[in-house]
Amino acid sequence: MIVTSLPIWVIDIVGSILMIVFSFLCLNLVRALRTRDQSNVIWTYLFWVILGLTGFAVSRSAGHILKQILVLSGHEPVWSTIRPYSGAINSVMFVFVASVTLFFERIWKIYRQISKDKQELQTVRDELLFVNQNLENLVAERARELAQSEHKYRRIFEVSRDMILVTRWDGKIINMNPAGYKIFGYRDTDVSFYQKSLADFFANPADWQEIQKIVERFGFVSNAEFSLRHREDKQIRVLVSGSLDDGLPDREPTIHFLIKDIEQRRLVEEQIAQADKLASIGQLSAGIAHEINNPLGIILGYTQLLIRNEPPETEKYNDLKTIEKHVRSCKSIVEDLLNFARSSKPNEDIIRVDEAIDDVLDFIQQHAGLEDIEVQKNYDASVPEMLLDEKKIKQVLMNLIMNAKHAIGKKGTLRISTGLKPSEGQVVVKIADTGHGIEKKNLARIFDPFFTTKPTGEGTGLGLSVSYGIIKNHGGDILVDSEVGQGSTFTIVLPLGLPNSRIRHAKINSYHR
Amino acid sequence: MQLQRYLQKIWLIGAIFLITEPAFATQAHNAPEGLYAHQLAHIFFIVSMGVLIYWLRERKLVQAVGWRYIQYAALFFILWNLDAFSVHLMEEQIPVIEVQRINPWEISITAADHSSALTWFYYAAKLDHLLCIPALLFLYFGLRRLLKETDTKTPGVIQP
Repeated sequence: MIVTSLPIWVIDIVGSILMIVFSFLCLNLVRALRTRDQSNVIWTYLFWVILGLTGFAVSRSAGHILKQILVLSGHEPVWSTIRPYSGAINSVMFVFVASVTLFFERIWKIYRQISKDKQELQTVRDELLFVNQNLENLVAERARELAQSEHKYRRIFEVSRDMILVTRWDGKIINMNPAGYKIFGYRDTDVSFYQKSLADFFANPADWQEIQKIVERFGFVSNAEFSLRHREDKQIRVLVSGSLDDGLPDREPTIHFLIKDIEQRRLVEEQIAQADKLASIGQLSAGIAHEINNPLGIILGYTQLLIRNEPPETEKYNDLKTIEKHVRSCKSIVEDLLNFARSSKPNEDIIRVDEAIDDVLDFIQQHAGLEDIEVQKNYDASVPEMLLDEKKIKQVLMNLIMNAKHAIGKKGTLRISTGLKPSEGQVVVKIADTGHGIEKKNLARIFDPFFTTKPTGEGTGLGLSVSYGIIKNHGGDILVDSEVGQGSTFTIVLPLGLPNSRIRHAKINSYHR
Repeated sequence: MQLQRYLQKIWLIGAIFLITEPAFATQAHNAPEGLYAHQLAHIFFIVSMGVLIYWLRERKLVQAVGWRYIQYAALFFILWNLDAFSVHLMEEQIPVIEVQRINPWEISITAADHSSALTWFYYAAKLDHLLCIPALLFLYFGLRRLLKETDTKTPGVIQP
């Protein structure tokens, strides 16, 4: 079959030229890709594939074009010489391109691994960069937080009302907060407690050893009650809590203590217990007094009837008078018991306390004598008139001043003062003596009925009980502070506040009298 | 003595190279080997392009337009290789086609069994650039797309 070779010729020539053109265009593109990211192995792979294809395209197309030219120009023998070389080069380029292409999967895996590693490196780099750029800020922020934390705990340490104390294992003080100084009776500028032994501040030296034993065994001590020595040689009851801090390996262990001053709480508890005890005794006394008072009244009445019909100076008359005297004495005691028990409502008189004190002092001056006793009076002029049972208040003042006189003995000083506490609505009367004082063991019992340190027959032991009852009946309180050899101070606290209407009513009653 | 020993060694080596007959140890490479090597290269090319298509699809790279074009390029290269392989087979290897140039613009194609279909198939197969040019065009557009996506930093340029 004879056919035209023109289409073959045209397509061969044009196709060969286009192959060269497009292969170079592809090479240019892949070079551009490599330029964008030279580390990308995929682009490198494509570059080698395209390079091989370009080489193939050039060798093949050049061969085809040359063939057509040589054949058409009648130089076929020349082409026959060149042909084996052209075919061999084409084969080599084929194999080259195919070989490189086969590596695609391996290259792809490498690329993914590199991308993954790159991503991780990038993440680490970003983190490092962030840390590097913000290290100063982070350090500053941490330092600020640390300072705030330190400040917070320092404030807790400084403003705590309880003693916070750090000691070595042997009790040597390392650090103590201001409350600790205060509990011991010092100011923090007075003295340094550093390296002083906590053991020396226990009232009982064995207490420290006991604490050490507990801490050694359990690692802590919790709310154990001990007594510490105050600067003024008095004892303070405290609750001790502490725990052992083993600390870092290169640091010796320390004990962190929290010591709570409970002295005031204990005193209040004791006062409450005392008040409860006196209230119970008062209740009992009132019951007994009521039962005895009536028979005594009958005995006294009949005795007085019998006396009336009996001529004086007879033996029977004297016997009846003795009975009358002792019955009256009994009635007086019963009356005192009733006063102590606060069973009777006090009268309401408007009086000035300082005037009442002066009246009592005058009375004692006249009947018992205060010649060798220096009386120092310090009245507060701002103390107003008060609504009190004048007779009973004077009885209280009489009891306290006579007790002071007996305590002073022959010579001494009696200080009487009044004071107004407007903020608390109270008037305070203080009667202080320089007598022998009251022993500590008796302090809790001095308001008990029939308790007396006087010899038998000199006192009934009802004076302070009655005074206590009267003051309590007025809504007040009576306190005592005494030191043996130094004297005693009795403090009467009376409430100031009364409704105006009640004052007006009381005044009217007083004028009518 | 030493000189004598050296002379003996030289004589012995010379005798081995000069006196012995040719052994024809190296294999001769005659004309058909070039054709077979070329045909095997075509097959190798087809296989490698097939493998490339397989991995492009396996790694789901063909979801990206650029790589999809490259896949098409590989497919056309396979077709072109099959075409070229067929022409070489018909022309030189079997051979079932005889071509004679009548004049510069005409040729005589004679099939072995005078089959018209085989003649026209051969004639069409000779237009192999109609397959390899599209292959290069797809390759060009694929690479251009990859470059464009790289420049716009589109995510998933290479990742499936």
